[in-house]
Amino acid sequence: MTSILGTGIQEGLLLKPVTYRWAMDLYDQAVANTWFPNEIQLGEDLADFARMTDDERHALTYLMSYFNPNELLVNKALAFGVYPYVNAAECHLYLAKQMWEEANHCMAFEYVLETFPIDREQAYESHVSVPSMAAKEEFEVRYIRRMTEDTLDIATVEGKQDFVRNLVAYNVILEGIWFYSGFMVALSFRQRNLLRNFGSLIDWIVRDESLHLKFGINLILTVLEENPEVATEQFAAEIRQMILDGVTMEEAYNRDLLPTGILGLNAQVVNDYVRYLTDRRLEELGFEPEFNVANPAKWMAAANDTFELVNFFEATNTSYEVNAQA
Amino acid sequence: MNTVSIRVQKRDGSLVDYDGAEVAASIADAARGLDDELTRAVQLQSEVEITLFDRIGTDQLDDAVIHVALANVKDDPAYDTIAARLLTKKLYKQVFGDTHDLFGDGAPETIRQLHALHFPGYVERAVRAGLLAPELATSFDLERLAAALAPERDDLLRFIGVQTMRNRYMLTDEARRPVEVPQFFWMRVAMGLSLNEADPTAVALELYEAMSRLLYLAAGSTLVNAGTRYAQLSNCFVMQMDDEIEHIAKSVRDVMWLTKGTGGIGLSVTKLRSEGSPIRSNNTTSTGPIPFMHTIDSTLRAVSRGGKKFGALCFYMENWHLDFAQFLDLKQNSGDPYRRVRTANTAVWISDEFMKRVAGDDDWYLFDPLDTADLVELYGAAFSRRYAEYAAMAESGELRRFKKVRAREQWKAILVTLQTTSHPWLTWKDTINTRALNNNTGTIHLSNLCTEVCLPQDADNVAVCNLASINLARHLVGAGRGARFDWDLMARSVRTAVRQLDNLVDITASSVPEAEHANRENRAVGLGVMGFSDVIERLGLAYDSPEAWDVIDEVVEFISWHAIDASCDLSRERGPYANFVGSRWSRGLVPIDTLDELERDRGVPVDVDRTARLDWDRLRARVRGGVRNATLMAIAPTASIGLVAGTTPGLDPQFSQIFSRTTSSGKFLEINRNLVADLKGLGLWERVRDDLLRFQGDLSKVDGVPQWLKDTYRTSFQVDPTAYLHVAARAQKWIDQAISRNIYLADRSVGAMVDLYQLAWRMGVKTTYYLHMMPRHQAEQSTVKVNKAAEIAGAGGGPRRGFGARPAATAVAPAPTPSVSIELEVDVVDGAACPVDPQERLQCESCQ
Repeated sequence: MTSILGTGIQEGLLLKPVTYRWAMDLYDQAVANTWFPNEIQLGEDLADFARMTDDERHALTYLMSYFNPNELLVNKALAFGVYPYVNAAECHLYLAKQMWEEANHCMAFEYVLETFPIDREQAYESHVSVPSMAAKEEFEVRYIRRMTEDTLDIATVEGKQDFVRNLVAYNVILEGIWFYSGFMVALSFRQRNLLRNFGSLIDWIVRDESLHLKFGINLILTVLEENPEVATEQFAAEIRQMILDGVTMEEAYNRDLLPTGILGLNAQVVNDYVRYLTDRRLEELGFEPEFNVANPAKWMAAANDTFELVNFFEATNTSYEVNAQA
Repeated sequence: MNTVSIRVQKRDGSLVDYDGAEVAASIADAARGLDDELTRAVQLQSEVEITLFDRIGTDQLDDAVIHVALANVKDDPAYDTIAARLLTKKLYKQVFGDTHDLFGDGAPETIRQLHALHFPGYVERAVRAGLLAPELATSFDLERLAAALAPERDDLLRFIGVQTMRNRYMLTDEARRPVEVPQFFWMRVAMGLSLNEADPTAVALELYEAMSRLLYLAAGSTLVNAGTRYAQLSNCFVMQMDDEIEHIAKSVRDVMWLTKGTGGIGLSVTKLRSEGSPIRSNNTTSTGPIPFMHTIDSTLRAVSRGGKKFGALCFYMENWHLDFAQFLDLKQNSGDPYRRVRTANTAVWISDEFMKRVAGDDDWYLFDPLDTADLVELYGAAFSRRYAEYAAMAESGELRRFKKVRAREQWKAILVTLQTTSHPWLTWKDTINTRALNNNTGTIHLSNLCTEVCLPQDADNVAVCNLASINLARHLVGAGRGARFDWDLMARSVRTAVRQLDNLVDITASSVPEAEHANRENRAVGLGVMGFSDVIERLGLAYDSPEAWDVIDEVVEFISWHAIDASCDLSRERGPYANFVGSRWSRGLVPIDTLDELERDRGVPVDVDRTARLDWDRLRARVRGGVRNATLMAIAPTASIGLVAGTTPGLDPQFSQIFSRTTSSGKFLEINRNLVADLKGLGLWERVRDDLLRFQGDLSKVDGVPQWLKDTYRTSFQVDPTAYLHVAARAQKWIDQAISRNIYLADRSVGAMVDLYQLAWRMGVKTTYYLHMMPRHQAEQSTVKVNKAAEIAGAGGGPRRGFGARPAATAVAPAPTPSVSIELEVDVVDGAACPVDPQERLQCESCQ
């Protein structure tokens, strides 16, 4: 019986033969997706930034306050809560790439903070001082903190459940719901032809996050499959509730993000989108959906769901790959 | 949504209660004549109201309605029509003045009267404001032109067409407010291209009729500047840097001026001596071409074209240059930024000699142009002879600086770089030079920005080409097997376009004397086509079918024949172009005659069908007596004017049946209207549209669609790649310049690319343009159902059910997956094979 979980120092040192092909493929694809923030010229968006309304700039600043520290939080969750407890070399390869990607995302957001006239102090400060943002962070930290306590024994059911809790907290809730809701707001600017270079950054980040999600969900499902004793009625109910609590926190946060509303978007629309996404995540984990709502952001079909044909003189192609093999 | 508390802020600052009825009326007006107009109007109104907020501005409300319409395009292209009409009405409001309601009174007669009423005033005001040339107010019968304006033709435009016109081509005042509505725009361009005529009003009317009906369109620079004070109307400029510091500096200066004039530039750097090459004047060594290229690249971002786009330039280098490997690295996304060109494009200028050495797996020598200066000027067999001499000199030690590689190694390096960075574009020097009819003025050293121009240039001549494009879609009548081309209309369109292009040469003005000179002496024009894929679909043909290739062959032959004939007529009327004598035209040759010439010179057959349908002997006799233009045809990419024309660009296939298009005006969803019409005809559209989006517009993956439909509507990545070469080669027979040939590949293997591009050369394709690779991984889709939970009882090796597996965990827990060969299992669910990769299973909607 294979086990994806394990803590042996001398285990998982040989890549071949690969056990979890999905992890290996994710690594290869992640490498091919490599991008750098300076491939776009964010300064070209400054004119747009100046033209935006106060509410729009507030929304953007709020997003930056949130994204930036949380990319590094995910990094910690991976370092303390996932990497040490996973056994397979191919998983470690992917995790290493994912951690670099979080670093790259952090650099991308730093690039935004450096380019746009956003008050960095104020932006940083709000993730501590604004209650709805602080609540989300506190929620995450609670789970990561648990993973750093050395009483965690991955060989026990409790240990495995803690592992799954951490994954759900950072991968399903933070990366899979909270970040996605933020990306949707970020992409909405481009739908009105604002902040197009920023939009390219978000395209790349969303592309990365889709793979993070695939990995995390696969990891959870593999753990549950290999360790059927983990998914008790009680644990399942706890996880489901955790996710729904995450939604409640996000709804409060979005009301602060968009107190009034901006063109094409208000807190209600974003929160409907959050509920729609949450149902998807629940189903991916094998739960029944909770909210049964339709995606209110039809424009995401253009923004995100289709192949894009780029006029190379006018926009950056965000769907190329690197690392071709001759 | 409670709209009682929503107020709208008018431009004067006052607040009024939001009036749903007013919005409803505007949407209903924009939906007139469409099926289900009432349902659509109600739906859009409620969707708008969801996103409203208190104190929304009237302009914002206009935009909100438009955005909501656009968001629904994935469900029906009719919403695009609604959005287009709303945007046009917004323009009417802005130009004709505010009216009492949201988008203005929409009655067609009212609109017509407003146009006729406002037109003369618009011209006069714009002249006074210094936007338009004074002649527009004095040389035309403005009332007569005003009476001819036909606003019903605005309905021909798609949303992206109106948006592109507004953002890119139409005139605005200093505050960036529009001063033109679409019909004014067409008329203004028509006037600006008739200034040199004896009866400007009559010709302007003729040009207006053709362009406002979208029968043909002038290219970008012409649309922006025609009729304005700044009449830089030419599109393409071709130049070369000499290996001498003064000329390098001049080149930088010229690039700035040409860019400011909105032109696209091709620039060859082959002559620049390589890195490390000695410079006698100050006893140092050269840094090679790369740093100079970086300098020019920075210039492109510094000077924006008309404030609307960054500079656009393509660097060309022959692949025997010692620094060629560094040239290949210029578009990598990482590395030393001083050795990269982020904005400019790159293309490689390849000789027959190289292609033969690749085929024969021979060596390939790289030289410093300082040592081999004449190679740049030689082509064909003469180049091969001289190249062999230099190679011998290298081997015998007479040339100190050279490098030797396997030809195939460099060929592969070029193709791998092309796949990962989309550059360099492959272009073939000898096919181009050997087939050129205007080869009496010198060697063609490079192509242009978009690889469709083939013009010689030198230190005294910056080559210039002037472009226009026939919209094939507007010349096809009927649909299905009964559809046929209106050849008379096409002939008229061609002749009108050629005359307009010739006028342009005399009207346009450039700030680069060498360009002015070349333009007047050669009068080179490039008439092309767009809408090929559009007409093929309407004819029920697949892009990769021989019947489709026959169509392009026949159409381009026809256009070429009439274009050349029109040029002969103009030569009778106005005289032949200055460099006519000594050209192959003057010896009675036409483009098709040079295929044999090419075959003889390179000693390798040109693999293309030689069928001719028209009376070329007649033309051979006529051209001998004089042609007005050194060149007549080129197929440009038409990426932007194709949007205005509302058809597929150039010879391009349908990218996908539903996809998003990213331009400087925004990111828009595009859906194939021909396909939607066919699906509606079969009663399948409603059922199929979500799947179509889920599968990224790939119809072949959608269930319940007849095979004949799937065969006709293939995506660019499904089309057999050799079809791109067949289409290009059949057209290229007739075209005296070249074609911007985009290629689309799903297969990433470099071996396949090697074969494809070698075949291109064998078939006589002159140039290729962008290579689009099918993305293997996209971000998780948002608006389609991903990972549907249709529970399947877990069998051995079945998909994981996560938390859905409990509490029966003891009874039907899925068997442990085998340790190594997971990817070899294949399950079948609902008749479709499950993806073997568990990660893909997650996304496959058949199972969970």
